[in-house]
Amino acid sequence: MDYTKQIQDIAARLFSEGKIDVFVGYRSTGYDENQVPVIITDAGEVDKLVFNDRSVFNLVNYLKFEQTRNKRVGIVVKGCDSRALNLLLTESQVKRDNLYIIGIACEGVLGEDGRKAQNCLECVMPDAVVYDELLGTPSGKREYVVNADILEIAAKGLTERAAYFEDVFSSCIRCNACRHSCPLCYCAKCCIDQDSSALYNGSNTESSAFHALMTWSLHLAGRCVDCRNCEKACPSHLPLHLLHKQNEMVIYQNFQGHLSGLVPEERGAFYKYSLSDPDDFIM
Amino acid sequence: MSFSTYKTDKAGLQKFYEAIIGACSTYAPVEKFGKYDYQKVAGLAACNPDSPIGNTMSIKPLFFPKSAKILKYKADSSGTEVSETTADPLAEKRVILGVKHCDARGLQVLDHVYKWDFIDTDYETRRNNTIIVSTRCDKAGEQCFCTSLDYDVEKSDAFDVLIVNGDNGTIYVQARTEKGEGFLKEHAGNLAAADGGAEEAMKKQYKSFEDSFRLKMNYEEINGKMKDRYESDEFDKVSANCIGCNTCAFICPTCHCFKISDERIKDEGVRYKSYDSCNNGYFTLMAGGHNPRPVKYRRWRQRAMHKFVYYKERFGVNLCVGCGRCAISCPVNISIFEVVKQVAK
Amino acid sequence: MDSEVKNKIVSIEKPQLEAPADWQPVIIGILCNWCSYAGSDLTGTSRIQYPPNIRIIRVPCSSRVDPWFLIKSLQTSADGVLVSGCHPGDCHYITGNYFARRRFLVTKKLLNFVGYHEDRIQFSWVSAAEGPKFAKVVEKVTQDIRKLGPLHLNKKENFNR
Repeated sequence: MDYTKQIQDIAARLFSEGKIDVFVGYRSTGYDENQVPVIITDAGEVDKLVFNDRSVFNLVNYLKFEQTRNKRVGIVVKGCDSRALNLLLTESQVKRDNLYIIGIACEGVLGEDGRKAQNCLECVMPDAVVYDELLGTPSGKREYVVNADILEIAAKGLTERAAYFEDVFSSCIRCNACRHSCPLCYCAKCCIDQDSSALYNGSNTESSAFHALMTWSLHLAGRCVDCRNCEKACPSHLPLHLLHKQNEMVIYQNFQGHLSGLVPEERGAFYKYSLSDPDDFIM
Repeated sequence: MSFSTYKTDKAGLQKFYEAIIGACSTYAPVEKFGKYDYQKVAGLAACNPDSPIGNTMSIKPLFFPKSAKILKYKADSSGTEVSETTADPLAEKRVILGVKHCDARGLQVLDHVYKWDFIDTDYETRRNNTIIVSTRCDKAGEQCFCTSLDYDVEKSDAFDVLIVNGDNGTIYVQARTEKGEGFLKEHAGNLAAADGGAEEAMKKQYKSFEDSFRLKMNYEEINGKMKDRYESDEFDKVSANCIGCNTCAFICPTCHCFKISDERIKDEGVRYKSYDSCNNGYFTLMAGGHNPRPVKYRRWRQRAMHKFVYYKERFGVNLCVGCGRCAISCPVNISIFEVVKQVAK
Repeated sequence: MDSEVKNKIVSIEKPQLEAPADWQPVIIGILCNWCSYAGSDLTGTSRIQYPPNIRIIRVPCSSRVDPWFLIKSLQTSADGVLVSGCHPGDCHYITGNYFARRRFLVTKKLLNFVGYHEDRIQFSWVSAAEGPKFAKVVEKVTQDIRKLGPLHLNKKENFNR
């Protein structure tokens, strides 16, 4: 999967036609195979752009920042990235007219170990769902599979799970990289960063991490697109996908097979209801 | 004053470590979720003193923990009562194994600010009660640049005991401070005294280590140029990718900014001192709403200047120690090395 | 296969440390103003006794309950939480409780996934006329939490040491 040439050409064309102010894409680090995001502002820089199976970071995250706000933006999106973009459009965080979207029919990206990333193996929609131009041949929607890791954890007893997650939460240093790298976390001030000492959790303790990570995953439930930006950003390497995939599974199984961001104009799972939603757990 | 050098092999080193773990409270790199954290260990099998560079957190949390309780209080209509929390768990006499040179240097650099206008007694106690055993890296990491800065990595006395891998499986153990000398006299029972060839073997190892660096800079030149670059437009360009998370400051071995926060239920509460980062949008937010650093490039400028200019001006040592952890952990791989090189061009 | 997964998640474990003899559970009750709060009021005026461990917070609608409230309650001092609203179809704001029950299910399952027993947070539909039912609900929740024991005892780090 290599669309470097096509993307460079498209970006150059967009700049020369005056259609965009900035272009958000990937560039190589220069010393290893990893790629990092790059924001270029003129046609002279298009030769920095690359795209292959190491283009991992979800670039839709950059639509939250100063560099792209109120500007006309060209952006490269894979399947999962475009689902996040769909949700941002539905939630009125970006204007469709300001974007030129290059969609990719993604074949999966590689993790740091050189093997296909776990979320790519379980991907439900590798093709971009919103785009102005699509590169590659679409392969269509795939069957939803339950994440193998959460089945493994669910099979353990309650005390074992509690011990495992206490370990996870006490390794968290509350750097908030997960929130900042998530494209769908765009609140100007997070609800748990309030000034009131009754609500604020400034301490970087286990209970503070429990509060932050649980609240964060529940506010993302029904919206998360499994791009794994959060997990890659985490300096403590916490297995954050466990929380999100668990929510995704419960939502898929109980709310008419809802998966986030596949349909334009469709909001997250918590913004809809059905008269037949289960409530046998309610007395 | 010259300090003792001993020599041993892999098996001997294991025995040495085990003797230390048996006799003293010991911290060493322990694997957690794919990266290494310094934790108290009860046996050599649980840890890896030779943990890889890219994956090991710094020892800063053992001296400046991510969250520390500083007092408890009870405030109701009858008055306010303040009490101490339990004793500092980090203040006991302890040994840290497998420390990298850059981290040890980081502590030396932090000493200046913690003993400056106000002596931080917690930090001082922890420092005085710790023996640092540092293994010199054999090969530099992708993001390392410790040899390019203003300290002599080879002759450093930031650590008490130095361990160097020589040729043919020989391992040299050398004291670097008086504390280290005393420590080795007590615990190096199974180590043999090194012969005359030790100096040369260690120099050879250092040379091959020095040659393995991908990143090199001329520190004097960069430091000199940065002083005039406050108004440079480059800061905006280099910080364009930054997503404003606090990761770089939290894992940096020398960042020391903190915040004080209270957590209470009704009338009782605990006051915590925890990590903070100048990269955070709310770092400079004041009561009343004014924020002198509202935009990203200003915060990045502050960070780069503090690391490479201000601290050097005030204390005579560079705050950045060249460990490269910020670049490794940054979600978008921004490297302070690239930033200062770009700005000082 | 799906039902297998659903059933695997629930299991009952005993807490490792024993609660002190005089321990009383702290239960937060978040009640919707129009149905459950009025219902609990009826319980009181009918002089029906129910355990005093519940602390009631009034919200306009069960839909006002953000999962954050439940997490925060458990993180600080609550041993259990009860959220109660109008019966589906009877919500004062027409559709609030339909949205709420989606959130409740996901929150309950996630808390169980990270090692909190399912019965720590419970939900009920109690209408303004169901005074006796409210008492029964509080009775059940309090008993369940008593069996499960204090929440913060077994954690390595207590919130308020």
